[in-house]
Amino acid sequence: MTEIAAVAEDMGRASLALARRFNSGATMWCTSPAWPFHASHVAVEFVHPVIVGKRALAAVTVPIGADVVATLRANVRPGDIVVALAGCDEPQVADAMRRGEAWGVETVWIGAGAQRPTSGSADHVIWLDTDDPLEASECFVRIYHLLWELTHVVFEHPGLLKDDAQAAVCNEEVCITCSDEGRLTEVVSVEGDEAVVRALGVEELIDVSLIDPPRPGDLVLVHAGFAIR
Amino acid sequence: MKETTDFLYPFIEGDETDAGTLLVDLARSAEEKWAVSTELRVVTLARIDEQLRTIAALMAERFAAGGRLFAFGNGGSATDADGLAQLYTRPPSGRPLPSRSLVEDRAVITALGNDVGYDKIFSRQIIAHAKAGDMAVGYSTSGNSENLMVAFAEARKRGLLTIGFAGIDGGRMGVDPNVAHCVIVRSQSVHRVQEAQASATHVLWSYVQAAMTTPTQTPVTRPPTEHT
Repeated sequence: MTEIAAVAEDMGRASLALARRFNSGATMWCTSPAWPFHASHVAVEFVHPVIVGKRALAAVTVPIGADVVATLRANVRPGDIVVALAGCDEPQVADAMRRGEAWGVETVWIGAGAQRPTSGSADHVIWLDTDDPLEASECFVRIYHLLWELTHVVFEHPGLLKDDAQAAVCNEEVCITCSDEGRLTEVVSVEGDEAVVRALGVEELIDVSLIDPPRPGDLVLVHAGFAIR
Repeated sequence: MKETTDFLYPFIEGDETDAGTLLVDLARSAEEKWAVSTELRVVTLARIDEQLRTIAALMAERFAAGGRLFAFGNGGSATDADGLAQLYTRPPSGRPLPSRSLVEDRAVITALGNDVGYDKIFSRQIIAHAKAGDMAVGYSTSGNSENLMVAFAEARKRGLLTIGFAGIDGGRMGVDPNVAHCVIVRSQSVHRVQEAQASATHVLWSYVQAAMTTPTQTPVTRPPTEHT
């Protein structure tokens, strides 16, 4: 059976983030296109705790067979959480995770296999090396049970629930969050040289004259009010 | 393994600001619980191995004779039923076997729950679908779910092979004669029970696959139906 040591710290950090987001009113969106029963299990775990007296947390499953990105785009609010259980080769999940920054959500990607998502693919990557699908499935159950258990441990530390991540707002020309890197945003609509984009979940107007005309849904890098890529 | 619990005691004041200590405790707690789960898996699979082999042989006979498997459960156990149906119908290896989760059709579940009662949401589907020679697999961590007991009674009456996965001490499922085979994971923790049940489910499936090496008596590919 897979050993936990490699991911124990990742799970601790993810649980701290989940508790902070929930404490600020987050909804947790769960998706697993290949194993929808896992996504359902995560959601029911958080909504209806097995331990009487633990608070019910807002968790919901992306419907089976639904377009993951379209469902999340329409529904997520800034500060929400997206949890995916998926292999590296799940394009819908990779795409949703990539949009997390634009949507202003915390992303958690749980998966297994020798191939793993590239660094930075999600805010939290909890990855097992095993290529055995049944062993991976058993490990997933443990991982989301533990995420739930640890999230509730964090709730017992109220002083640590302040969500620093949401305090950083990127709205100045000299950007403290992105420095010179630019922010990843998602195009909502385009009108000539201007476009409405979603940046950290909030819509803003930007200038797109420096790049090829983008289409709604495209991801563009924005710096100082200009789309640069 | 001794479980360290001191970190569970909350700070009385809300003035804790350094998350570093908590992160160390969370990682350590994860490792400890993981070890408990691994230990329970090993102990449980060793204890129930003969039972799983017996059940698998009976299931393989029924599958070979054209039997179908119906799975059910509530909450997290409902997702176990879904997972079992997916494993049997779309296995990572081996042959696909006819299996359905009775919790998957929301129209049926809500119709039955609303019109007949929640205790009959599975039994009514068994009445509609199941025949002698089929199989019923129910998951419950407590072993006490009323709608499972009603479903098992109906399934038994109709000649289905009845298999239960229960936790704690087996509960009602552990002693009800309508559950011909009750696989019990002996733990007080609902989470650890579900984790070991997942392992037992996988081992049972692998034993069924191993026993399914001869041609079945029913054609796997049915002749195409004529369009009218």
